[in-house]
Amino acid sequence: MDNKSQNGIQVGQALLAAAMLLPGIGTVHAETAPERGSIGVKYLYYKEDQPGMDRVRVHAPAVSVLAPITGEWTVAASATVDDVSGASPRYHTAVSGASRMDDLRKAGDVTVTRYLPRGTVSVSAAYSTEHDYVSRALSLQASLASEDKNTTWNFGLGGSDDSINPVNRIVQDAGRQTVSVLAGVTQVLTPVDIGQFTLTHTQGHGYYSDPYKLADNRPDSRRQDTALLQWNHRFVALGATSRLSYRYYRDSYGISAHTIGAEWVQGLGDGWTVTPAMRLYTQRAADFYFDPVYDSKLGAPFPPGYVFGSSQASSADQRLSGFGAVTLGVKLAKQLNRDWAVDFKVECYEQRGAWRLFGNGSPGLAPMRAVSLQLGVSRQW
Amino acid sequence: MSARLLMLCAALAGLSGCALKPVQPWEKGELSRTDMLIQGDNLETRFNEHIYTSKEAASGGSAVGGGGCGCN
Repeated sequence: MDNKSQNGIQVGQALLAAAMLLPGIGTVHAETAPERGSIGVKYLYYKEDQPGMDRVRVHAPAVSVLAPITGEWTVAASATVDDVSGASPRYHTAVSGASRMDDLRKAGDVTVTRYLPRGTVSVSAAYSTEHDYVSRALSLQASLASEDKNTTWNFGLGGSDDSINPVNRIVQDAGRQTVSVLAGVTQVLTPVDIGQFTLTHTQGHGYYSDPYKLADNRPDSRRQDTALLQWNHRFVALGATSRLSYRYYRDSYGISAHTIGAEWVQGLGDGWTVTPAMRLYTQRAADFYFDPVYDSKLGAPFPPGYVFGSSQASSADQRLSGFGAVTLGVKLAKQLNRDWAVDFKVECYEQRGAWRLFGNGSPGLAPMRAVSLQLGVSRQW
Repeated sequence: MSARLLMLCAALAGLSGCALKPVQPWEKGELSRTDMLIQGDNLETRFNEHIYTSKEAASGGSAVGGGGCGCN
C-alpha cells in the first residue's frame, strides 16, 4: 500500500472516530443527553510483587471530558499516560533472568453520541502507543428503548488493529486484528432495581504470543465469549446502594473464567460516601499452558519433549495458568458542592494457583500480590 | 452461536417485561442516582479493566471497541 492511500485510511479513521465519541468506549448510555458537562482527573499508582521480587510499578494520570452539544449530541474524550517500570518473569514465576522494562504508554479515545427520542447512536475511536506496540480501535454502538423506557436494547460492533515490534526483534511488524459484537438488554425491574445482561463475542487473528517470554508460542487466532449480568439495588431506608455483577468468560484457548463483583455504596451524610468492594475471580488454564516441570535434557524453561522450531502451541505465562484471585478495596468520596467532587480508592489484589475453583491445578507458581491507589477530582459545569 | 445468544437475550427480556409491573416515570427518582447507573466511574472503570486485562486471561464483557496493549 502506498503512503497516499495509507494516509487516506488514517484520515478516514480519524474522521469516523471524530464522528462518534463515547465516554466508556462503547458502554451503555441513558437515553437522555446530560444537561451538564464534566471533567475528571484521576491518578493511579499500582505496584505488584511476588515473594523475592518486586514486579511492575505503574504511575498513570488520566483525564476525561464529557461535553454536551446542542442538547442532542455529546462529545466525550479521555487520555492517559502509563509509566510502567519493573521486572516481569520470562517463564512461570522465575525470579532469575526476569526481563526488565521501562515503558511509557499513551492512550486516548473519543466518542460522539447522538441522542434520539428512543435511543442513542455512538461512534468511538481509541488509539494507544508504546515503544513496541500500537493499537487502533473503532466502534459503533446503539441503544433502543421501549416506549415506557423500562427496557433498553444495546448493540455494539467494534474492531481493533494492533501492530507489535518487540525490541528483541523476535518478530517485526507483527499484527493482530479483532472484531467484536455486543448485544444486551437493560431492564428497570422496580423503582429501586435495575439489571443489565450483556453478551459479547470477539474473533481475532494475528500475533498473540508474548515476545518477551521464553518458549511462548500461542495459536494465531482466538475466539472469546462473555456473558455479563449486573444488578443494582437501592436500599432507601439505609441510604445505600448494592452493585452486584457476575461475568462468565470462555475462549478458544480452553480458558474459562468466572468473576463476581460486589460493591456497597453507603451514604454517610454531608456529601460523604464510603464504598467497600470485593471481587472474586477464578480461571481454568489454557490447553497449551505447561506446569513448571522441564525437559530433562534442555532444562528450564522448556517443557518435556520440547522441539525447537516446532509449531506446537506452548506457554509458561502465569496469566494462562489456572488460578483464583481476590480483590478487596474501599473507596471514599466527597461531593464538595454542586460542582466539585473528590475521591480516593485503595485496593489489594492477590492471585494464587491454589485458589482456583475449577480445572486441574497449576502447581509450583509463586503467588502474585498487587496494591493500587486512585485519587480523583471531578468538576461539572 | 450468536443467533442462539440473541434468542436467549430476547427471551430473558421478554420474561422480565411480562412478569414485572411497569415502573412509572414518576417512580424513577432513585434510579437516576449516579450510583444506580450500570456504568460506574469512567476513569476508574478504565483503570480497573486495564489492570485486570494485564494480569488475567479473561477480559471484556461490558463494551466493544477498546484497543489492545503490549501488556498481555
